[in-house]
Amino acid sequence: MDLTFSAGELAFRDALRAWFAANDPGEEPVGDEDAHFRWRRDFQRRLADDGWAAVHWPAEYGGRGATLTESAIFFEELGRAGAPLPANVLGLLLAGPTIMAWGTPEQKERHLAPILTAEEIWCQGFSEPDAGSDLAAVKTRAKQLDDSRGALSSGAGCEARAKRERTGWVITGQKVWTSGAQYSKWCMLLARTDPGAAKHRGLTYFLMDMEQDGVEVRPLRQITGESEFNELFIDGARVPDAQVLGGEGNGWKVALTTLMNERAGLAFFLQVRMRRLLDRLLGEAAASGRLEDPLIADRLGELHLRAEVLRLTAYRGLTAIEKYGQPGPEGSLTKWMWSQTNQRITELAADLLGPAALKDGGQWSYELLRARGNSIEGGTTEVLKNIVAERVLGLPRSR
Amino acid sequence: MDFDLNEDQREIKSVARELLGARSTWARVRKAAESGRYDEALWRELVELGWPGIAVSEENGGQGLGIVELVVLLEELGYACAAVPFLSTAVAAAILDRFGGEEARGRWLPGLLGGETRVGVGRAGLIIDGAEGPAALLVHDGRLILVDSAREPLGTIDPTRRFGRVADDEPAGSWTADTSAVAAALVLAAIAAELVGVCQRALDMTLAYVGERRQFGVPVGSFQAVAHRCAEMLLHTESARSTAYYAAWAIDAGEDASVSPTEAAALAAAAAATGAREVTASAIQAHGGIGFTWEADVHWLYKRAEVDRALLGGTAGHHAALARAAAARLAARA
Repeated sequence: MDLTFSAGELAFRDALRAWFAANDPGEEPVGDEDAHFRWRRDFQRRLADDGWAAVHWPAEYGGRGATLTESAIFFEELGRAGAPLPANVLGLLLAGPTIMAWGTPEQKERHLAPILTAEEIWCQGFSEPDAGSDLAAVKTRAKQLDDSRGALSSGAGCEARAKRERTGWVITGQKVWTSGAQYSKWCMLLARTDPGAAKHRGLTYFLMDMEQDGVEVRPLRQITGESEFNELFIDGARVPDAQVLGGEGNGWKVALTTLMNERAGLAFFLQVRMRRLLDRLLGEAAASGRLEDPLIADRLGELHLRAEVLRLTAYRGLTAIEKYGQPGPEGSLTKWMWSQTNQRITELAADLLGPAALKDGGQWSYELLRARGNSIEGGTTEVLKNIVAERVLGLPRSR
Repeated sequence: MDFDLNEDQREIKSVARELLGARSTWARVRKAAESGRYDEALWRELVELGWPGIAVSEENGGQGLGIVELVVLLEELGYACAAVPFLSTAVAAAILDRFGGEEARGRWLPGLLGGETRVGVGRAGLIIDGAEGPAALLVHDGRLILVDSAREPLGTIDPTRRFGRVADDEPAGSWTADTSAVAAALVLAAIAAELVGVCQRALDMTLAYVGERRQFGVPVGSFQAVAHRCAEMLLHTESARSTAYYAAWAIDAGEDASVSPTEAAALAAAAAATGAREVTASAIQAHGGIGFTWEADVHWLYKRAEVDRALLGGTAGHHAALARAAAARLAARA
């Protein structure tokens, strides 16, 4: 057991700190989503220019081949510097690694570089109105487009069928909770290609061009008033065969690669961001003398404990993955712990600061409302508990 | 960064689990508890194996291992809910070895390692093995003090162990050296570690029960209300484990650690005090009516948990100390 960073990890961290010291992200634009997005895109370009945009990617694709611990350090330092998540976070964390794992050489050549530079933004088209927690229930339909010219007129059936050339797919359906779709050039799209096959078998993973007539993006206004998410209406969108990832009918496996990448690096960023929020509250409580109130001190201390437990548990999970190739039982707990603690911090802010934390347009008001999404996005707490019960504790399937 | 037990520590853990599984069955624990005596046969065996001296230097007759190894053993003794005076003995021995000075070491260490001397460990109102023996080590205002004034026996809800208390309200203490804050941290980390094992046992027993017990034609563990309770139990158990290991490591690492033993121990104490109550109470609840019976044995874990929680001093004091420390760090940075 050694909870200190190695010399190499410290050197990595110091190099990052030096970079962040020289590259101030500047003030976070408030109230203008497009300006906020530009801020994030510009900052990713600066990271990419100096090789910091995707430290976990192999060097051949423009990364640094960072270890999991170094990757965690990157996200910790990003949060510590008050820098934003890169604009193309879904491309960097999800699309890139999935394409590296399943893509053809042409797909890697075509897609990876523009992800790194934020030139082409990616979104994730998985969830649907009737396929949320039950993701494999997706209904969006992809039908093969046959070039059947001559097939009917020639009458020489067998020969004609053999000559039929596939020229791609036509996609129709609806996606929801699509973050950043309004800025995206590409979509990681999960669609059903074989309705007759078993639920998990009839799916295919497409790389869909968002810039076409068959794709309509409608922003979803959330309880904060802003629109991080969108609905995606897909009506006859075309995707060429070359844009199928991992082969027809293999979509569920490919999607699992994406989902497995979803929580790893982000966890450390979210944890540090939460820590900053808690530190702000602690600072305000100390400045106003409220820390002297035993009830307030009790609640603040408990939140500090929770934040530390989350940090320690995340590092335990990291060690387990590095040593044994998979997270231990603690690995499935961090997202749940984070959402619960982040919500409680914002609730304590509302209790502690009163109306000042509930002002229209105020920072704490935003955090309070935004935190309600924490226990839903990326897996509801209820589903996470089911997963823990069934897969970690080995209990019989819930009903 | 390596937040995991090493090969040797895993080996210690599995050997202890196996030995205690065979020697400290619920039948044995129940018998000892009902007779109000320690399981002397088991205690003799553990003493012969050298367990009380696990974290005592070899030059002083111990095994020369660290607090992480001590914590691993404590976790397993908690898991077995063993009726032996291990916690007070091993912790007092480790503290005397590290901070005790030659005179105290010479006077008490041989008797502690031989399993005969009892030096109580706790706080003024509640001391494990506190009534008999020449002295007691008490956590007082975040430091450890050595008390040899009058103490008296105290019966608690946990009859698997003996307890005492200081007779006077204000304990007359000596020995408040600079290191006594680390010694106090060691006491808290040790009790927290024992509770990690208590939590794990409560969880394991519950999982076995709800996987087996059928109602409405299905195992009750397939009901989400029950399954989610079990998930909560795991969350508390792992939170207590992460912080208990962290505290043990911080004490062993000393100057190399980025956290003070005091702060890490406060985390461990608060997480264990919260988790142990939640998890052991949940175990009774998930066992239903059976869980409320004497024979089901889940209650021993709940009783151990409540008394250990009191030994840790509850949660509010630790929470407040953590909040103040975090705020002071922020102020220093600004």
